[in-house]
Amino acid sequence: MNDLDPVIHQPARLQIMSALCQLGASERVDFTYLKQHLNLTDGNLGAHLATLEARGYIAVEKAFVARRPKTFVGVTPGGRQAFAGHVAALQSILQPK
Amino acid sequence: MDISPEEASKALQEIEASRMAMRSAIRSHRGHLYLWLWGCAWIAMSVLNWMYDKKALSANYWISGLGMLATLGIGFFQARQIRVTIDRRFAAVCATLLLFGYCVWPVFFLGEFHSYKAAFGYFTVLWMQLYVVAGIWFDNYLLWIGLAVTALVVATFLIVPAFFWALTLLCGVMLLGSGFYVRYFWR
Repeated sequence: MNDLDPVIHQPARLQIMSALCQLGASERVDFTYLKQHLNLTDGNLGAHLATLEARGYIAVEKAFVARRPKTFVGVTPGGRQAFAGHVAALQSILQPK
Repeated sequence: MDISPEEASKALQEIEASRMAMRSAIRSHRGHLYLWLWGCAWIAMSVLNWMYDKKALSANYWISGLGMLATLGIGFFQARQIRVTIDRRFAAVCATLLLFGYCVWPVFFLGEFHSYKAAFGYFTVLWMQLYVVAGIWFDNYLLWIGLAVTALVVATFLIVPAFFWALTLLCGVMLLGSGFYVRYFWR
């Protein structure tokens, strides 16, 4: 049985992981684009991403697009697995065996 | 960590809301613009070839060239929001297929292109080969589009060559329609 993951369970991080898990394995989303879709501030999103990155759930890449620095974020296989486990744990609370 | 069923239910609702918002955002990056672009380009080329036959060759080059530029433009614009890490092995496979398709096989078989239709069919199917490879590589819808269009082009060429241009126009419609499917229905 899966356990709830306290790192993922925080509401903003739950939102972030849920959004990132929709990306394909080789896809990365722009920080600003993600921020707009989640209605988070720069600082808030940055702090939560740092927490998730430290845990190994997401990968953060810096790149230059049209000579401007950009930050792209994607979910790691471990992050995808942890999120799926967390969702399964939430579902098992609602439907206990 | 223990939470109540109400909290679990609320968390699942938040997950679903976030998932749906991101999914609709991602949908606009799923490649439908390329399918629309090349569907229209294909239809335009088929109509011109149908009307002017070999005289439309230079128009085909122009349409293809502008299509390539537009493809690069779309790729550049979309990579600012969601970018895909380029798989170097996949890029090498595509480059090899195109190199052989344009520079090696024609050396041996150019004389076998007994008609303008045969040459057009050869090059369009060559590009469909890339769709098939991409579909296999990335496990997506491009495999079926590539196979369906290839089958239609080959069958038309062999069975009803008199209607070749009319039916290649249908291939353009297939690309265009696939673009709509990818944009609005496919996950």
